[in-house]
Amino acid sequence: MALYPLIYGIRASFHAYRYGRDVGSAGFKNYDAVLHDHTFWTALGTTAKYVAFAVSIETLLGLGLALLVVNQLRFSRFIRVGLILPMTVAPVVVGVIWRLMYASDIGVVNPLFSSLGLGSPNVLANPGSAFIGVVAVDVWEWTPLLFLIILAGLQSLPQEPLEAARVDGAGPVRVFFDHTLPLLRPVLMVAVVLRLIDAVGTFDQIFVLTKGGPGTATQLISTYSYNTAFLFTQYGRAMAMVVALMVLVLLLTIAAIRFMRTAAMRTSS
Amino acid sequence: MTDKERDAKRPEGAGARNGITRRKILERGAVGAAGLFGAGFIAACGGSSKSTSTGTTAAKAASSGGGGGTITIGSFQDNAMAPFRDTFIKRFTAETGIKVQYNETSYDAWYQNAKNDGLNKTGAYDIYVMDDNWVPEFAAGKIIQNLDQIGFKANPDILPKGLDQGYWPPRTGARLKDFANDKPALYAVVIIDDVELLYYHKDYFSGAPKTWDDIAKVAARKAKSPKLYGWSARGVKGNPIMMTYLPLLNSYGGQFVKDDWSPGFAGPEGVGALERLFSFIPYMPAGVAEFDTDQETQVMLQGKCMALTEYTGLVHRVDDKKSSQVVGKIDMAATPAQEKSGPAIGTFICGIASGSKNTDAAKQFLEWFTSSKIQTDFARGDGSAAVTKSALTDPQAVKQFRWLPAIADAVNNSVPKPKTPDEPKFEDILGTHISQALIEAIQKKSGYNAIAQAHLTKAANEMTQFIKQQGGYV
Repeated sequence: MALYPLIYGIRASFHAYRYGRDVGSAGFKNYDAVLHDHTFWTALGTTAKYVAFAVSIETLLGLGLALLVVNQLRFSRFIRVGLILPMTVAPVVVGVIWRLMYASDIGVVNPLFSSLGLGSPNVLANPGSAFIGVVAVDVWEWTPLLFLIILAGLQSLPQEPLEAARVDGAGPVRVFFDHTLPLLRPVLMVAVVLRLIDAVGTFDQIFVLTKGGPGTATQLISTYSYNTAFLFTQYGRAMAMVVALMVLVLLLTIAAIRFMRTAAMRTSS
Repeated sequence: MTDKERDAKRPEGAGARNGITRRKILERGAVGAAGLFGAGFIAACGGSSKSTSTGTTAAKAASSGGGGGTITIGSFQDNAMAPFRDTFIKRFTAETGIKVQYNETSYDAWYQNAKNDGLNKTGAYDIYVMDDNWVPEFAAGKIIQNLDQIGFKANPDILPKGLDQGYWPPRTGARLKDFANDKPALYAVVIIDDVELLYYHKDYFSGAPKTWDDIAKVAARKAKSPKLYGWSARGVKGNPIMMTYLPLLNSYGGQFVKDDWSPGFAGPEGVGALERLFSFIPYMPAGVAEFDTDQETQVMLQGKCMALTEYTGLVHRVDDKKSSQVVGKIDMAATPAQEKSGPAIGTFICGIASGSKNTDAAKQFLEWFTSSKIQTDFARGDGSAAVTKSALTDPQAVKQFRWLPAIADAVNNSVPKPKTPDEPKFEDILGTHISQALIEAIQKKSGYNAIAQAHLTKAANEMTQFIKQQGGYV
């Protein structure tokens, strides 16, 4: 049951479809077409950029917020609850909310920027700002996940080495970089790998906010393969894209795990 | 998840149990998560038949209760279908005794549902309500029946351009190689003549603008952005911006594709049409590149726009006091001509399922609904975009619903999209390049000809390459 959809999908990637029907084996033609599809490579590049920006910012923000909250600052309980809220909203709803906020005519972003003397950015109308806009939405929604994982990690760190360092006169920055961060690294890696896998498949927000535009500025592999399957009815080619992406994600995961293993060994030594 | 994360923070080696270390658990978890992502995505792309089968089972169960005197109609949700669903289905049952089960769902879901139902000939549905661009795939794939072969009599009063949408292979225009020598046959019959209209504010235009130049002149004279725009448009890439561009392209004498499937938009006509769109930039909302129908029409409903082109769905909204500040102030006409008027057409069209268990009743329903009498009542009821000439020119209906003659005029001038299952891909290619061109033109504010030429040439090359790669065209 777990494997059947995968096998079905891989099989479909080697078949040709016409007029709604499976018209037989296509060999490697779908893969060849995908590899020669300029739009696929553009979408792949955009996906990589999107994932890199979103996950990096989320990790840094999540780490920063977790460090603030773990130190039992005032209102930390409220901050914790407030930070978790975006993650509980369905991605498609998140897309709708932000589309309204970004809307150049009725949204709140244009008036906000204008009031600060920064003009009207028309976020979703320009390729650069649209990309930043969709990354910002992802950061808003998923930073809480990184925050929660890292916070849990921080709370369960052994206190002895940290206290010993402090007794030896190390300042907070030194303690953080020399002790907290190395101890936290395995947790961070797991959090980043999980988030990275999830971010590669981002679909709902993009579909609602920009449909991949303007031009191809926010077109991710997920939206392009969806369109290829259900709009262009090229199921075989879409499946070839998805399988190629799946292989890529697996390779990334393995690379991340190896990195994690090396880092952990270095820490323990 | 929480346990795993706690475990992850224990010192190295502390979690070893039964030969499985914490690290191994983490590794396997991460690989599993990657696999799940892949499986989930594949299921999302390939799993439509499963969700469809659930829907068809329900429909089958619903239809089986009525026996031979029942037909099941499936449709996508659309406000334009409300009178059909709420009034005319009941009337058909009252007049004929044939029960009608009506199931509707979202556009995308219904497309997959109908296609899978027809391919598998489940018999769950008798009639599919379709978008006319489904006809090539549904007819070529024998998902719907040849109406000529089952003796369907098309009402000669139906506007020919609307009726043409149901033929396969198409009666005019480019044909796929496999069907080049086939005799065109009617596979689907139009039930709502949805077509693009020009909506113009009567305070700024004394009559319907005949050409795009007329609109440009008035916009240049009277528009005061952002309080009053001369023009509003859909700028989102793909289909939305194509619906903005096609009436311009057609009116300038260009073609989406020529009869030999070569792109017909990269020449002077297509470039001129795109330059005309760019010429409206000073009079359009600044964020037009992100506008879809909702935002495009909102500026008109707020009284901040002098004119736009849009499908017939807007006719009721401009006169709806709840949502419009321009009640009675907007008039409609066929989209402007430059050489000729050329609105895009996108009809609601019905086919009979290949697996229909009650073909005769389905045929009877379609003949009944497209009859002149019923169509006239359809138009009189709430100004629906009826499909017969007599309905769209009926004095009683026209008196109440001023847009009906405009719909007839627009349908008569309409230009169909290319008849191929790959038409959405064509739209995506050209619509993406036009979106990029519009953004570049907005940013540079000059050099429109070069921008239009460059992007349309790229789109034409890409489309030619796709056609070659796809095969079956020439």
